[in-house]
Amino acid sequence: MDGSIYDRLQKKLEVQKEAEGISAGDIAQLPPALRKIMRLMLREVELTHAAICATMSTLPMADQLNRAELDQALDTLTAQNWLIRRGEGERLNYTVNLRRKPPSQLGGSFWNALDAKITESKKANPT
Amino acid sequence: MGKIISIHSFRGGTGKSNITANLAAQAALQGKRVAVVDTDIQSPGIHVLFGLDETKMGHTLNEFLRGECTIKEVAHPAGAEGREGVQQLTRHTIWLVPSSINGKEISRVVKTGYSVDVLNRGLNALQKELNLDYLFIDTHPGLNEETLLSVALSDTLVVILRPDQQDFQGTAVTVDIARQLDVPNLFLVVNKSLISPELKEYDQLVQKFRSDIEAKYGATVAGILPLTIDMANLGSADIFSLRYPDHVWSKELRKIAETVLAA
Repeated sequence: MDGSIYDRLQKKLEVQKEAEGISAGDIAQLPPALRKIMRLMLREVELTHAAICATMSTLPMADQLNRAELDQALDTLTAQNWLIRRGEGERLNYTVNLRRKPPSQLGGSFWNALDAKITESKKANPT
Repeated sequence: MGKIISIHSFRGGTGKSNITANLAAQAALQGKRVAVVDTDIQSPGIHVLFGLDETKMGHTLNEFLRGECTIKEVAHPAGAEGREGVQQLTRHTIWLVPSSINGKEISRVVKTGYSVDVLNRGLNALQKELNLDYLFIDTHPGLNEETLLSVALSDTLVVILRPDQQDFQGTAVTVDIARQLDVPNLFLVVNKSLISPELKEYDQLVQKFRSDIEAKYGATVAGILPLTIDMANLGSADIFSLRYPDHVWSKELRKIAETVLAA
C-alpha cells in the first residue's frame, strides 16, 4: 500500500516537474547563447559540465561563451527548471527537462464514448 | 552521432510521408544505416508505404511513450512486408518506428498527453543503439509542440510545399520558426508541380520557378517534383522511386536525396 502511495506521489512530482519544462516554443524565444545550449542538450539529453564546456569550445568563435558566461547561462536555465542539475565537481551534469504534451481539453466522457464506438465498430467489422 | 532529418509541411496532403519514405529508402540504398520515425501520432500513415499493417506492427511508438517497451523493440526492419519496391530494402539496413493506427491507441495518446522527454530520449537512444547514419522524422503537419521539437532537434529540415497560395503562406511561417530555432540546414521541396516534364521548355520553366521560390523564402529548393498520375495510381502502396526508378519523379527525388544527405 505504502509503495503505491509513494509511486503515485512520485508520478505526481514527475508530471509537475515536466509541466514546468521547456517547450520548443520557449527555445525559439531564448537569447542566442541559451538557445545554443538548449539545442545541444536536446540532442545529447544529458551532459556533464565538462562536456558542455568542451562542446562550447568547438563552436565557431563568434558563438562561443567564456566560462563565466556559460555558467551564468546554465544557472539561468536551471533556475527556470529547463535544465536539471545533478551532482557536484567532476560529476556535475545536466539533463534537459521538456514540457509534457498536455492531455486533451475534451472531457473524459467524450473519450469514453469514442472508445466504446471504436470497440463496437471493431466487433461489427473484425477485419 | 548520425544526422537527424525532419520532413515537415505546414498543411496536410503535401506528400510529406511519401517523400520521407522515398528519401529514407534512397539513403538505405546508398548503404547508410537509416531509421524512419512516425511522430505523426495523431494521424500516422508512413507504415502503409512500407507495407506494414496493424496486424504486423507489433510494438508501436505509443507503447514506448507509455513505458511498455524499449524504442529498439519498436524498430521494425523494413522491407519484408512490402511490395516489389519496398522488398528491395531487405538487402539494406533500414528500420521503421511506426505509430499505432489503432483508433483506441490514438485516442488514448491524445486524451492523456505524453512525456516529450521520453520521446526525445527515445530518439537519442535509437540513434545510438542502431548506430544510425540518418534518422528521418515524419512530422505532424502544422506547428504543434512535438513538431517544433523535431525541428529544434534536427540537423536538416526539409519543408514540403505544393504550388498553392495556402502552402506558400504556411511555408513562410515554418521557415521563420526554423530560423529562430537555428536549424543548421533548411531545404524546400516543391511537390505536385504543374509544370509538365513533357514540355519542351520544362528545364527553363522549372529553373525560373525554383529561382522565384528561393528568392521568396531565402532558402535552397532541393527539388521540384512533378504532379504525376502514376504516383496517384500507386496510392501509397509502395515506395515509388524503388518501384519505378526510371520515372522522371524518381530521378528528381534522387537528386533531392543527394542534396539533403550531403548537407
